[in-house]
Amino acid sequence: MEPRIPFLEVSDAIILSGAENLYWCMQCGLCTGTCPYRLVTGEASEEFNVRKVQRMGQLGLEGFESENCLFACTTCRACVDVCPRGVDIIGNIRGMRRMLAEVGSIPPSLKPIAGSLHAQGNPWSGPRDKRTEWIKDAPVPTFSADTEYFLFVCCTSCFDVRSQRIARSVAKALQAAGVSFGIIGNEESCCGEAIRKVGDEELFSKLAQSNIELFNGKGVKKIIVTSPHCLFTFKNEYPEFGGEYEVCHYTEILSQAVKDGKISFSGDAVGALAMHDPCYLGRHSGLYDPPRELMSALPGAEVKELSRNRNKSVCCQGGGGRVWMETRAGERFAELRINEALDAGAKTLVTACPYCITMLEDSCNVLGKGDQLAVKDLSEVVAEHL
Amino acid sequence: MGDNRKILVVGGGISGLTAAVEAAEAGAEVVVVERKPYLGGRVSQFNHYFPKLCPPACGLEINFRRIKNNPAISYHTLATVESISGGPGNYEVNVTIQPRFVNDNCTGCGECAKVCSTEIPNPHDYGMGNVKAAYLPHPMAFPFKYVIDPSIVGTDEGKACADACAYGAVDLAMQPATLTFSVGAIVWATGWAPYDATKVDYLGLGKYPDVVTSVMFERLAAADGPTGGKILRPSDGKEAKSVAFVQCAGSRDENHLPYCSGVCCLASLKQATYVREQYPDSKAYIYYIDVRAMGKYEDFYTKVDQDENVTLIKSKIARVSQAPSGGLLLEGEDIVNGGKVKQVVDLVVLAVGMVPGTAAVKPELPMEYDDFGFVVSSGASGIVPAGCVKAPMEVAASVQDATAAALKALQCAMGR
Repeated sequence: MEPRIPFLEVSDAIILSGAENLYWCMQCGLCTGTCPYRLVTGEASEEFNVRKVQRMGQLGLEGFESENCLFACTTCRACVDVCPRGVDIIGNIRGMRRMLAEVGSIPPSLKPIAGSLHAQGNPWSGPRDKRTEWIKDAPVPTFSADTEYFLFVCCTSCFDVRSQRIARSVAKALQAAGVSFGIIGNEESCCGEAIRKVGDEELFSKLAQSNIELFNGKGVKKIIVTSPHCLFTFKNEYPEFGGEYEVCHYTEILSQAVKDGKISFSGDAVGALAMHDPCYLGRHSGLYDPPRELMSALPGAEVKELSRNRNKSVCCQGGGGRVWMETRAGERFAELRINEALDAGAKTLVTACPYCITMLEDSCNVLGKGDQLAVKDLSEVVAEHL
Repeated sequence: MGDNRKILVVGGGISGLTAAVEAAEAGAEVVVVERKPYLGGRVSQFNHYFPKLCPPACGLEINFRRIKNNPAISYHTLATVESISGGPGNYEVNVTIQPRFVNDNCTGCGECAKVCSTEIPNPHDYGMGNVKAAYLPHPMAFPFKYVIDPSIVGTDEGKACADACAYGAVDLAMQPATLTFSVGAIVWATGWAPYDATKVDYLGLGKYPDVVTSVMFERLAAADGPTGGKILRPSDGKEAKSVAFVQCAGSRDENHLPYCSGVCCLASLKQATYVREQYPDSKAYIYYIDVRAMGKYEDFYTKVDQDENVTLIKSKIARVSQAPSGGLLLEGEDIVNGGKVKQVVDLVVLAVGMVPGTAAVKPELPMEYDDFGFVVSSGASGIVPAGCVKAPMEVAASVQDATAAALKALQCAMGR
């Protein structure tokens, strides 16, 4: 091993970029051992070592900047949960990415995402004036002063054709439960969760400020979200920009509606279904029971558990900006989950996050298991049984 | 000054015994109370001491002889402190004695056990293996008296035990008793418990029978243990010829025990020698964050490290699982060499830290505790903590600390 000279000015700059407790790390390596990249093979698995990345950050050394190293992290939080020093590892990763983002050194595949967010307020290169096209022919109320909840639909479910079904299902279920809700529409912008994780702090604050101005102007007090990523950022990151709201994931609202007897289900038996806990619903937000309560209330539901469930759930690999980066087939976390679902005897794998749906459904098809396993958002299964 | 010169020692482990004999040999009258049915504490469960690798039995034996030969020391087993009132120089202490159902006539002949068929998990072996419900706590128990487990009292079996005793030693009518002591000072030496490593769920304790704790491993290596000293896998009795020692199983971890107990690295190095001595073709792997062998103990670390079949790997193990080919698979990052740890072994030993006996339930007594439940030494109080209830420490340090505690207690009892 050749000797390397620490460059502490770089280390200081990383800390100023938000990696506030970089030096708490004692280099035990539990994060690297826990990281889901150890469960797969491939370039990112070989290159991305979260303990080593932080060590290089501590010493201000170069060599961690690539798409398959620093930008491999999906911010799944598995390492943070076990870290013996309570290090905000995701914060450290974000700080290191921010250093690069500020000089324009983010991976090429993320540049059009940032461009679209700047120009259209969403990462999917969808025209801003088509944000509400998911509604199609089923009218959805518009938020007004006397509406209780503002329904914020994730950009993915606004623009991705497959994902639009989630938006329609959530709206249909909320209507069936008699919830007072409405959308604002084309003025809404992306919550900014993912781009902040990618390191573009400036763009995130622009998005957050624009949303907060809009929400506050409309008198929003309570928000229902379709994606756990929006949940995380509205709940934990908007308050520092002046956006204080009561934020709920739709599974919370619907499971409460079931308990209150405001919604009931009918129709064909659901059969064997298992939950893939999204990282941002589970480890990041601690919501494990609402989706399970909702599943159990469905007609003929046979609820199975994946071998790694709840806080031990394995990431779909869509977080932290990875949903826009390529991971080779055969090296994907989502493939592990599809196989776990089949091993658990599930016929339907449900989840409650648009990124998870994208990643899991893709892997299900790549593995050729589409005829044995359906991948659905829980809202879709709910909407099918109203 | 009468009773005020008396010292009460709470806890009959190595610290309590040391404090008792030191104080008594300096002229005080001493009463020892111990929760278990025998004296000697956790040391009596150890196979060998580090670094000399000698059995603790001889040291205990010497202490027991000092107690037996000294009329100034009295002791009560199955005894717990209920309350303390008064202040330095003048305490009144209520102690509850649970019935042993065996009186002082017991000769240790074992006829009661022969007619007893009920078995209970052996507490001395952390529940690995069973003992009869009429049992001697361990072969060199002091006092050398049997115990009748409450589960057979009031049954025909209990009566059969009483009938089998030729000395009238089995007394099934024995009731709990309360004793009151007036003392001038108290040495609080209630010791430690191993951290409950089932809480470190990724290490597999409680899930896989071949994952054991370091204190259980002492019993697996001890001649009076459940395997007669043969190091065997609990699952199938196979000889454990590859053994992994996982350091910091909960220690130095804010989610578990935030502190370092300072003895576990040395205990694992010692335990690696058990494996290597017993099976010449064995391998021991020690997975660590840092090897903490302080001061003079570094020589011991160096000595064990010289054995080419003992491998020390800088890695905090992230996962223990069943290997498809049999055995247990350990996974983690190999920090020094780069890459992954993927090691299959016969047996996994988790090096568990020391939790003070006062952590779970803090006695409502005039004592102060730190954030982790250790008793803080207070100059103003006549209750003097000694040994592992004060801080994690090895046996040698406990003995030194208890000697110092004895001096403090003497000063308080003598009114100085």
